[in-house]
Amino acid sequence: MTSTIGFYSLTFGLVCSFLIIFFSVKNFNNSQFFDNKILSITFLQFFFVTISFFSLILAFVYSDFSNETVFNHSHTTKPLFYKISGTWGNHEGSLLLWLLVLTFFIFVFLLKSQKQKKEYRILTSLIQQVIIIGFFFFLIKTSNPFNYIFPVPAQGLGLNPILQDPALAIHPPILYLGYVGSSIIFSSALAATTLNYVSKDWAKHIKQWVLVSWIFLTLGILLGSIWAYYELGWGGFWFWDPVENVSLMPWLALTTLLHCILVLEKKLLLSSWAIILSIATFTLSMSGTFLVRSGILNSVHTFANDPERGLYILIFLFCLIFLSLFIFFFFFKFEKKKKNLFWLSKETAILINNWFMMYFLSVVLIGTIYPIFLEVFSSEKISIGPPFYNKLIIPFLVPFLLAMAIGPKLKWIKSNFENKKHLILFFIISLLLSILIIRNLDISFLLNTVLVTSAFYLFFITSRDFFVKGFKRLSQNIAHFGFSLLILSILFNNIFSTEVISNLKLGETLENENFKIKFENIKEINEYNYKSIKGKFTVQDLNGSNEIMYPELRIYNQPNIVTSEADIKTNLLTDKFMTMNYIQNQDYFNIRYQVKPFMLWIWLSVLLICFGGVISFIKKYEG
Amino acid sequence: MKIIKYLILILIILNLSSIKAEDQINDLNIKITKNLRCLICQGQSVYDSDTEFANSVKILVQNKLRDGQSEKEIYSYLKDKYGEWILYDPEFNKNTYFLWLLPVLMFLVGGAIIFKLLIKTKY
Repeated sequence: MTSTIGFYSLTFGLVCSFLIIFFSVKNFNNSQFFDNKILSITFLQFFFVTISFFSLILAFVYSDFSNETVFNHSHTTKPLFYKISGTWGNHEGSLLLWLLVLTFFIFVFLLKSQKQKKEYRILTSLIQQVIIIGFFFFLIKTSNPFNYIFPVPAQGLGLNPILQDPALAIHPPILYLGYVGSSIIFSSALAATTLNYVSKDWAKHIKQWVLVSWIFLTLGILLGSIWAYYELGWGGFWFWDPVENVSLMPWLALTTLLHCILVLEKKLLLSSWAIILSIATFTLSMSGTFLVRSGILNSVHTFANDPERGLYILIFLFCLIFLSLFIFFFFFKFEKKKKNLFWLSKETAILINNWFMMYFLSVVLIGTIYPIFLEVFSSEKISIGPPFYNKLIIPFLVPFLLAMAIGPKLKWIKSNFENKKHLILFFIISLLLSILIIRNLDISFLLNTVLVTSAFYLFFITSRDFFVKGFKRLSQNIAHFGFSLLILSILFNNIFSTEVISNLKLGETLENENFKIKFENIKEINEYNYKSIKGKFTVQDLNGSNEIMYPELRIYNQPNIVTSEADIKTNLLTDKFMTMNYIQNQDYFNIRYQVKPFMLWIWLSVLLICFGGVISFIKKYEG
Repeated sequence: MKIIKYLILILIILNLSSIKAEDQINDLNIKITKNLRCLICQGQSVYDSDTEFANSVKILVQNKLRDGQSEKEIYSYLKDKYGEWILYDPEFNKNTYFLWLLPVLMFLVGGAIIFKLLIKTKY
C-alpha cells in the first residue's frame, strides 16, 4: 500500500516539473511580474516527493517486505532508529533523499529570492527543474525504491551492521544538504550568466547559498570522519580513500568559491572565475555520486553499485556539463573594464588562496581518478594512498598557512606593511616554540618544525585578532583560527600518537615502556539483534593512572557479520582507543591499543570552522 | 671478578642493542605495512587490517626485515609477487609521470595566470 502511494506521488512530482516548465516559459515572456503559480507548483512538487519519502520510511518502519528496497536493506529485529535511517542507507532511498532536498531547496530559493529580478528567478527555477527531471527519471528508470516482490518474503536481508550507527544515520542527510545546495548555486550561476546579471548584488545574494552548502558539507564530512574513527576500528580519521576524496573535492571547490565571491561582492572582479567555480562545485558533487554509485572505486565506503546506474549518471553529468559550458561561452560577457590588481592587497591574497585551493583540488582529483584511467588505457592497476597525498600536499601547506595568516590583514585595492612588527614577532615566537617541541623527538626535524611553525603562526595571529579586532570580521577569524587549530591538532596527533598491537590470552599481561595491559575477563551478552563479546582490560600508564577498557566484538544476526567495536576513552587532551579481534581457531585475541593526543580538538576545530560560516550567514541575513 | 663484571656489562649492552634492533624492525614494519594495500579488503592497509592475508604479509615483512632486507627490496619483492596494486605509494615510472607531474604543472599554470594579472596592472 505505502509503496503504491510512494510511487504515484513520485510520478505526480514529475508531472509538476513539466507544469512548472510550462508556466515558467509562459510567464517569462508574457508578464511583468513573477507568476506565483510557479511557486505553488514547486511547493506541490516538494509535497509529493515528501509523501513519497515518508511512505518509504513507513515501509521501513513496518518492515513491509513486499517492497524490494525494504527487503534488501531491513530486518524485523532491527531497532526502530536504524529501520528509519535504513531508508537512506541504500542507493534507492538515498537518491530519493537527493530528490527531496533538490525540490526543497528550489522551493526555499523561490521564497527567499523575491527581491530578485523575475527573469532570474524563473530561469534558475527552470535549470533546477532540468536537474530535478534528470533525477526523477534516474530514480524511476534505474533505481525505483518502490519495486514489488511477489511472493512477499517473510524476512528481510538486513542492513550492513557497520552502517547501524548514530553518526552514520545522520551523515548522509547532512552531506546531501551540502551537495544539493551546490545545485542551487549552479542553476543560479547559469541563470545569472544568461541574463548578464553577474553583479555585486548577485554575489551578495548567492553567497548565502554558498555558505549554507558549505556549512552542511563541512558538517557532513566531519560526521563521516568521526564515524570512520570509531567504527572502522583502526583509529584513523582520514584515509585518503576515494569516497572521502569525492566529498572533499566539492568542499575544496566550495571553499574557493566562498573566498572568490567576496572579491566579486566587494570589487566586481573575478566574475568569470566565480561562475566556473559554481559550475565546478556542482559537477564535482554529481561526479561524486556517480563515482560512488557506479562501483568504479575501490573503497571502504562502497555499499552499493551497479554499472547501469553509473552509465546513466555519467550521461546525465555530461549533458549538464555541456549545457553549462554552452551557456558560459555563449552568454558570458567578459568585463571590458581594466582589472586593477596590486600585489599587496586583499584581492591578491584571495587569489593566492584560490590558487592553492585549486592545487589541492587538482591533487585530490588526479589522485582519485588517475587509477581508473590508467586501468582503462593500459589495464595496469595501481593504488594511490596516503603517501601520495602527503608528499604533494604537505609541502604546499606551509606557504598556504602563512598566506592565510597575513592575507586577512591586507586592505582592499592597496595595502602596505606599516605597523606590522607583530607579524615578525609572532613568527619568531612560533619558530622557537616549534623547535622546543620538535627538538627531542625521533622524527624528521626540518619538515616538522617548518610545518608546526606555520600552523602556530596562523594560530597566534588569529588569536591576537580576537583581542585586537573584537567582533570585526569575527566569522572569518573564527574559521581561520579553527583551521590553524585543526592543522595543529592533526600534526600533534600524528607526532605524539603511540600504539601497541599484540595477541593476548585471557589473564595475560602485556608490558612495554609506556604501559601495562592486563586482559581481565570476557563476557558474552545477547542483545536484541546481535551477540556481544566484551573484553575487560586494565591499562596502567607509566604515571600509574589506571583505565579500564571494554572493547567489544559484535556478531550480528542479520546479515551475519562480525564487527569490532572500539572502546574509546576521550578526554580533553588524549583519546585512549582499544579494539579487539578474533584470531581464528585460537584462544588468543588480537589487541590494538592506541593513545591519541588531541583527537577531540580535531573535531572541535572543524566545528569552529563551521561556526565561522554560521556567524557569517547570520550576519548577512540580518544586514 | 673484574672480567665477569665486564662480561655482564657487555652482555647487557649487547642485549640492549638487540632490543633496539628489534624496535627498529618493528617501526619499519609498521611504516611498510601502512604503505601496503590489503588485497582482500576494501580500501584498508595491511597494517590496519586483521584478515589472514594482512597478517601473513605482516609476518612476511617482519621476516624479511630480520633477514636484513631493505625497505626498497621488500617493496619490489611484493610488487613482483602481487603487482603494483599492493603499493599505496605509486612509484615514479612511465605509468605515473602524469600522476606526479600534472598537479605540479597545474600549480605552475595557476601561478603564471596570477603573475600575469599582476603584471598587467599599472600603478
